[in-house]
Amino acid sequence: MPVKSYIAFPRVGMKEQLIEVLKKTPHCEVMPALNKDVLVLVTDTADDQEEEALRQILYGIKELAHLNLVSGYSDKINQTDEKSSEHDNE
Amino acid sequence: MGRSNVIIGFWIVLLAAAGLIFITSLSEEQSLTGDKAEATGPSGSLPVEEGVFRLSGNAVEFMRLYNSGIQGHMDINGYYSRRAFPGAPPVIPHPVEEFPENMGKYCLQCHGKGGYVAQLSAFAPLTPHADLINCLQCHVPVKTSGTFAASTWIRPAAPETGRQALPGSPPVIPHDLQMRSNCLSCHGGPSAPVEIRVSHPERVNCLQCHVPNEGTSNKNTIWTR
Amino acid sequence: MNRRHFLKKAAAASAMAAVAAMLPGVLFASDIESDHFPPGIDWTKAPCRFCGVGCGILVGVQNGKAVAVKGDPNSSVNKGMLCVKGYHQTMCISSADRLTKALVKKHGKYVETSMEEALDLVAAKMKETIDRHGKDAVAMYTSGQSTIPEGYVASKLMKGAIGTNNLECNARLCMASAVAGFLTTFGADEPMGCYEDIDHANVFILWGNNMAEMHPVLFSRLLDKRLTRKDVSIIDLATRTTRTSKAADKSILFKPQGDLAIANAICYELINNGWVNKSFVEKHVVFRKGKTDIGYGLEDKFAFKDEAQPIDFEQYKSFLEDYRPDKVEALTGVSAGDIKFLASLYGNPNKKVVSFWCMGMNQHTRGTWMNNLVYNIHLLTGKISQPGNGPFSLTGQPSACGTAREVGTFTHKLPKGVVTNKKHRELAAKIWKVPYDRIPDKPTYHATEMFRAVDRGEIKFIWIQATNPLVSLPKTSRYRPGMQKKSCFIVVSDVFPTPTTDVADVILPAAWHIEKSGLYGNSERRTQYWDRMTDAPGEAMPDAWMTIEVARRMGYGDLFPYSKEKHHEEIYNEYRQFHAGKQHNMAPLAILKKRSGVIWPYIEETGKSTLWRYNSKYDPACDPDKDFDFYGNADGKAVIWQRPYEAAPEMPDNEYPFWLNTGRVIEHWHTGSMTRRIPVLHQAVPHAYVELHPDDARQLGIVNGQKVKVISRRGTTILPASINERGLPARGQVFVPFFDEKMLINDVTLDAFCPISKEPDYKKCAVRIEKL
Repeated sequence: MPVKSYIAFPRVGMKEQLIEVLKKTPHCEVMPALNKDVLVLVTDTADDQEEEALRQILYGIKELAHLNLVSGYSDKINQTDEKSSEHDNE
Repeated sequence: MGRSNVIIGFWIVLLAAAGLIFITSLSEEQSLTGDKAEATGPSGSLPVEEGVFRLSGNAVEFMRLYNSGIQGHMDINGYYSRRAFPGAPPVIPHPVEEFPENMGKYCLQCHGKGGYVAQLSAFAPLTPHADLINCLQCHVPVKTSGTFAASTWIRPAAPETGRQALPGSPPVIPHDLQMRSNCLSCHGGPSAPVEIRVSHPERVNCLQCHVPNEGTSNKNTIWTR
Repeated sequence: MNRRHFLKKAAAASAMAAVAAMLPGVLFASDIESDHFPPGIDWTKAPCRFCGVGCGILVGVQNGKAVAVKGDPNSSVNKGMLCVKGYHQTMCISSADRLTKALVKKHGKYVETSMEEALDLVAAKMKETIDRHGKDAVAMYTSGQSTIPEGYVASKLMKGAIGTNNLECNARLCMASAVAGFLTTFGADEPMGCYEDIDHANVFILWGNNMAEMHPVLFSRLLDKRLTRKDVSIIDLATRTTRTSKAADKSILFKPQGDLAIANAICYELINNGWVNKSFVEKHVVFRKGKTDIGYGLEDKFAFKDEAQPIDFEQYKSFLEDYRPDKVEALTGVSAGDIKFLASLYGNPNKKVVSFWCMGMNQHTRGTWMNNLVYNIHLLTGKISQPGNGPFSLTGQPSACGTAREVGTFTHKLPKGVVTNKKHRELAAKIWKVPYDRIPDKPTYHATEMFRAVDRGEIKFIWIQATNPLVSLPKTSRYRPGMQKKSCFIVVSDVFPTPTTDVADVILPAAWHIEKSGLYGNSERRTQYWDRMTDAPGEAMPDAWMTIEVARRMGYGDLFPYSKEKHHEEIYNEYRQFHAGKQHNMAPLAILKKRSGVIWPYIEETGKSTLWRYNSKYDPACDPDKDFDFYGNADGKAVIWQRPYEAAPEMPDNEYPFWLNTGRVIEHWHTGSMTRRIPVLHQAVPHAYVELHPDDARQLGIVNGQKVKVISRRGTTILPASINERGLPARGQVFVPFFDEKMLINDVTLDAFCPISKEPDYKKCAVRIEKL
């Protein structure tokens, strides 16, 4: 369920390459700034496993210098189900 | 009813956490009013334009609070419901000390810097004219809901927003600038009506792009020689 | 919109907000596209039509019409931002009273004529005048808003083809003092730094310029920096309180003309507090003094030539004794404490300081001296030619640098160098392919004197392009009757009817900005190219093509072999040759077409521009053995000029007790011929006014909006009073914006000028205020 947004900083001089890589990464939508070296990344995964898998991919991208989590949304099941999703603040 | 998913919107309050910390720290911050030296005294001052530069240091912080997830944001209907007509001084919707010792200081505690008031579940609106401190001269409390005698008063329509000369050009300012020297009071910050918040409160030379144009019929629309 | 989509949009918005908090001024595609603009728009780049900041714009064209304007995010000048004039500039095109046909005055009435016939008449008249009265009886007056090709063909026609130096431009009225300051101090024109200085400086000191309204996008860059960096402050030093004063961290008011003493007092403090960068001064600076008591140019045929005398540091130091801060408090109106404060900012080796100035210092009867004096401050401290550290003379017009100064549309200039220099004449003769002795070696008239010569009947033909002198000259109360005389045949090329076209014998309809291709050069030495985007209406054509057509009719066709379609490219390629070399190379056209703009000098081998000149770390034109090389001067050294305070020619007295200051407002450009025809700008400031201090107004019994007379020894203008609105003059001073042709404040101003630069002082004369 999670929809998250990040600020992504490319390594010096690698903005265009980072954009290309993220465009090819599943569950990702990338919005580059037009006049500064920074991008906004919005991710949308179906469940926790996909979310975790995506996380691994993102942190392995070598063109990426920093990834700052800004906000996120998730549906939370109510108490009768006794299940809640837990996600870290990063 | 069977099991149902209760959908809760926000579970990450990264910004909200930052926002809350910010709000509580606001009270420790330097007063936004009065510390900057007045360029002129009572015999001359430029009421317009200076307020926004004073508030500019907080523009960046205001943006973080937009998405803090705290309830209590003002909307445009709420904004106008406090005013008898567009441009009228808003009434005071909360109990107030009617003979405070230092009126300016008393009111500006909350309305000079803003902040969240839990008891009212609302963000305190920022005054667009912090240099005027006889507040109760114009702003009065609401002590009753009825009228003394029936009235046919109808509130005039609010000015049309979003009037642009060309597609994409900066919208004109559809209201008078008198008494409104702090654009950010109504257009930035968490107490600003949601519908008229700007996407770029950090750009504080507002009048560089936005010019006043009330659209009243007595202004010549086209210049001729 | 389903919930998931909404969530993603909200998440993106949060992130964008967070980025903007960190990096103000950031632009995302969604900020400027999608809902705002209808589909099917072609966006093409150009520089803005207005001020010397030179913002990059993108004009949206649909079905052959310009429908929208936005800032070019790729331009490092404005990074996607514009001001209110920039956003709406294309709207003047659709004004109903636009000139579309040539008009020839016959028996007192204007008759529509074909362009061919009108150009025939202009050429015939010009030739006839030369035959009867000599080459110096004809003149051209162009503009700091003319494109580079337009300035170039004017210069080639007058100096290369006809052989007269009767070519001047309105940049004489705005930047001449800055140019004279550069040439006398550094031997070479134009700033040594660039806008990137804004990103590195700690302190911005503004000398008499209302930057928030006059160079608004640059000012916003200053505000940006102050928001994001802890150690940035803005100091406003002015005679009047403006938006800039309100935005600044400190506003210091001074008395008119007092700036001369303030600058010297700061130098006194620098020397006497040991804040001088001794090794810099020893290696890179010489000291000189010039003549004093140099007059004001009020008489016709006023002539002045300065004489430089070398002095040494000790002499300079003892000269400054008279400018000890406490001694000049009364003269400047500034407390010694504030002067010392300013000096401490300049003198602090850990603070990078940029000084900005424009018309307050240039439109000044001692304008050249003022420019020298601020350079003195930066030379004594060695704060020059480094990122964030240096003096920056801001330019008023969009191409006063690119056209007027670099092409040289002045009586004494050539595209490279000056007419008095044999080598420079030889170079021009070679490139223009004209006999060497055709180019005259003596300057004739500067702008003010040119219109005096029209008044005296010496100039019998004048062609005015892209400027409106009968609103913008000082003392129009003399020059309007002068131009109305029958003795001079007047040709005016303009887009709109103005008080100048009102006195013309022939009016030629001009193409506006995006209706022609061209090049401009802004304050930071950045040349920008643009392609024609829409068609000019009726028979309107680019000024450059008018000049070429007239030149051909006069028999100079072989010197103007350019094609109608590509003349702007052919001309630029020819012009470029003048500036070849590491000190001034201009980028080739192919690069200019691709990039939003290129700073000169452009180094072909590396494809890079020299951002900071005279510093061998950044400037390959320097002698590599020196750390700083002011190669404009033969000895590689800059000059510190000893310049005293001298009073203004006309000061307030019992009969005329107020200082009159004139200037602009952000909404209107110069004489308003374009901006008043843009409804949103006209509606924001519909007419001129006279600003009064409330105490002065009270004493005179004047209320806001009341019509008053502003009276000087030269004329009267009636204006409504403005109290506590846009600007607050000091007591005993008034301010009037000059954009209003019906409230012509220049009827009242004085045509005194700096004897060195010949630039008039629009900021100081004496007036009386009377109720109507």
